[in-house]
Formats: sequence, structure tokens, C-alpha cells
Amino acid sequence: MAELLERRLAVGWLEIHAENYMGGGPVVRSLERLRADYPLSVHGVGLSLGSAEGIDGAHLERLARLVERLQPALVSEHLSWSVTGGAYLNHLLPLPYTDEALGVLCANVARAQDRLGRRLLVENPSGYLRFRDSSISEPEFLNALARRTGCGLLCDVNNVYVTCANLGGEATAWLDALDAAAVAEIHLAGHAVNDADGRTVLIDDHGSPVADPVWRLFEHAVRRFGSTPTLIEWDTDVPALDVLLGESAKASRRLVEGGDVVAA
Amino acid sequence: MSSLRELQAGFRAAILVDDESGVAPNVVDDEVGASARLAIYRHHVFTSLTAALEATYPVVTRLVDRRFFGWVANHYVRAHPPAGPCLFEYGGDFPAFLAAFPACGHLPWLADVARLEWAMNVALHAPDAVALEPDALRALDPRALARLTLRLEPSVTLLESPWPVDAIWRANQPAADGVVDLGAGAVRLEIRRLGDDVVFHDLPPGTFAFRAALAAGRTLQDAVERALDAQPGFDLASEIRALLDEGALAT
Repeated sequence: MAELLERRLAVGWLEIHAENYMGGGPVVRSLERLRADYPLSVHGVGLSLGSAEGIDGAHLERLARLVERLQPALVSEHLSWSVTGGAYLNHLLPLPYTDEALGVLCANVARAQDRLGRRLLVENPSGYLRFRDSSISEPEFLNALARRTGCGLLCDVNNVYVTCANLGGEATAWLDALDAAAVAEIHLAGHAVNDADGRTVLIDDHGSPVADPVWRLFEHAVRRFGSTPTLIEWDTDVPALDVLLGESAKASRRLVEGGDVVAA
Repeated sequence: MSSLRELQAGFRAAILVDDESGVAPNVVDDEVGASARLAIYRHHVFTSLTAALEATYPVVTRLVDRRFFGWVANHYVRAHPPAGPCLFEYGGDFPAFLAAFPACGHLPWLADVARLEWAMNVALHAPDAVALEPDALRALDPRALARLTLRLEPSVTLLESPWPVDAIWRANQPAADGVVDLGAGAVRLEIRRLGDDVVFHDLPPGTFAFRAALAAGRTLQDAVERALDAQPGFDLASEIRALLDEGALAT
């Protein structure tokens, strides 16, 4: 944070995790200074848009106050749930892609957008399991959510890659199925390669450089979605700022090249 | 087909109490089984919450060793999962949990060290307060003063312990050698934020009793009586002046 404040980097924008800035004190004061030098976006992890019991009104209020104060360009959350019976399970947990779940998501997204007074972007999570109940695909579910609520989509290209590797499916086909007009932001990140039951499982850990196949998938995404605000997520084992800037520059080059393809 | 609400309750049981019966039948298990897939989620929940507790309780972590801390944290997370997503607010009842945790019974000072670390965490994230100006008190009718309640600014915690938890805390900072005299006796600490820094110091008995009574919402008269019980020479005027000078009273 101190280095970000000192160097005034030539990066397009920065994204903050909403839940880290809902208290007071020096953490929040340094965010106020950051806001003066960089455009910000707000990325929530705790709204639990997929909770069958509805979203926590007190948490929505805190998010709304943060958004009012920071006036970010974009506000995003996840296609997942974390809260049941008043307990917050600290993870982006998976949903069955059913009509019932779609109804829950639509109601919760609509309530959030009403209170925030703006469009929310909803991000595809990394998947490690599928439910037998699911009747439609993840991109179809997201498209329906966007159509019914007017929300935008945040396409996390690394998550698409991880989900397809773990659950089956072709990552380019996943991207092709997503409603390009609704995509307003892209995320990129690194993942870890682990083992479960003797099989390879990819874990979205935001702790390493973007993998080569994910860069190739990103090129495909840029051809599909056009030039879109793109963020590199790296929040465990965070490297020196210059390594992050190198990743950011790689993404910018591909956006320019991809943008030309779209324009042609 | 279970409803979404039942599925989520089943998922919670799979994460927190290892009962997968409410969710596993609905999970596609192919080359990787349902249990192994659920374990990926469980692993993340426990490692991330343990890391959050370690960040809030670094001295307790050092005192009991990281592996033991992880084991205690695992029990704690199962019994007290977070009530909300702001992790800097997670772990307020961890000190009481430690006090009652049998495997920590041979470390009677551990829970109070945890109380000090929690108070420091509260101070760090407390909202900024507007300090009370001395003129606000001057304008009051002297007869109303006795029934007055004064609010301490929100970063303040008053913590009394029979153990020298301040010395234990200092001796267990990253560069320190961990050596401390446990016989040094009781402390009465005030913990708060000054500017960007969290500080604590030991207060005289009367000052501590006075401020602790104010923090508990007692009237000025009640607080003075308690302070005089603790310290017969307690001088109200200088104590009020000190609170104002320190910016410790909130509007």
C-alpha cells in the first residue's frame, strides 16, 4: 500500500476487496489517499448472493456506504453463497444451476442493485464440484441472471479455465456461450495444481503468475468480448510490485491486439 | 431433490461437522469422489479462518506454537463460525474459548494475552471519533454533573489481569527473546489507538476503576465512588482534565 501511494503508477485502476475496508482507522485512511491517485473498483466477497435465506441487510448497508464514499467505477460480487443459518463460511461456495437457485439469485441481485442504486457485476466462481440437480450450464445461468436483473457479468478467465479443468467442459466453448454484451470486466489470476483422489485438481489461489493456457484463453475472451477492463488478482504470496506491473503490461498488450481484431 | 435452503444447511454440516449426508448425494462424483471435492471447500474455509485468527492473535500463536494454534483454531471455527464476512471482526470470543479449552489449562495467562490482542485489534479498526471539547463540560449545570455519563472514544478498552500480559506481549514480539517474569503481578491496562498506532499502558487503580466504570456506561457519581474505593486519594478534577487532554472522551 505504501509503495502504491508513493509511486503513482501508470496502471489503469485498482480494485479493493470491500470487506477489508468496512471498519475505521489507518487502513481506511490509506484507502482515502489511494482513491485520490487511482480510479477504484469495489469487489465484494461477502454478500452471499446465492443464499436461500436472502442477503444480510446490515452487510448490504455497509457495502452501500462504502460504495457511496468511494464512488467506484465498477462494483462486483460473485455467483456463489457463503451464509446459511447466520454462519459465514468463508468461501465462495457452489450453487446448483436450477430454476429455484436462479429465482434466489435474481431476488438477491435485484435487492442489492436497488440499495446500491447501480448495476452490479456478478463473477463466475472457480468450481470444484457439480450438483446433480443442475439443469442448465453455468454460462446459461449467468446469461439468464443478467437478462432478468440487468446486472453485468464479470468474467474471470482463470476461473473458467479452473472450472472446466476440474468439472469437464471446453473453456473456449464456455466463453462462447456467455452473453458478450453483458460482460463489463475481466479477471485474470494464477492457480495452483493439486491432487485429489489421485487426480489433478486446479485450485484458484491467486498466488502465482497467470498460466500460459489462461493467457491464450484471455486472448479468446478479448476477441469475444472486445476491449474490457481487465484486472490481475494476486492476493496470496504477493510479489514485488514490479512483477505485478509486468503481468498488468502483458494483459494490456493483449487487450490492444485483441481490440484491433474486434475493430477489424 | 432438496431445496436450496436444505442443500446449503447440508453443505454447512459437511464443512463444520464433517457430516456429508445432507449434500454428498447431490454431488456428482466421477473420477474425484464427492468427499474429496467437499474437502477442497472445507480445507479453504479452515485454512483461511485460521490465517485470520493468526493475524489477530500473533502473540498467542507464538506462545502455543503454530501447529497447536491451528488445532485449537480448528475447534474454535467449528464451535464459533464467523457471523459476518469482515474477517477483522472475527474472533471476539476466542479469548473466552481459550479460557475454557482444556488443552490450554496449563497456560492460565493465555486467555488474558488473547484479550489484550483482541483489544488491540478493536482499537486498530475502531471508527474515528470526534473528541469532546472541554467547553462542553463547562456549560453544564454543576448539579447535573453527578448524573452525567461520559463516553470514552470507541477505540478504548480497559483490561485488568492478574498476569503481566503487557510484559508477556512485549517479550513475544518477533525480535524479542520471549523471557518474561510471570511473577510481576497484576496489570490494569488501557488500550487505544492514537493516530495510526495502537498503544497500551498500565493505569493506577483509581484511574482504571474510574475509566472502566465510564466505559460500562455508569454515571459520573458512580464512577467516582468506585475510583475512591480503589484509590482513596483519587482526584476527580485532574482525572477529568487528563481524559480531555488525552482526547479520550467522545462527543
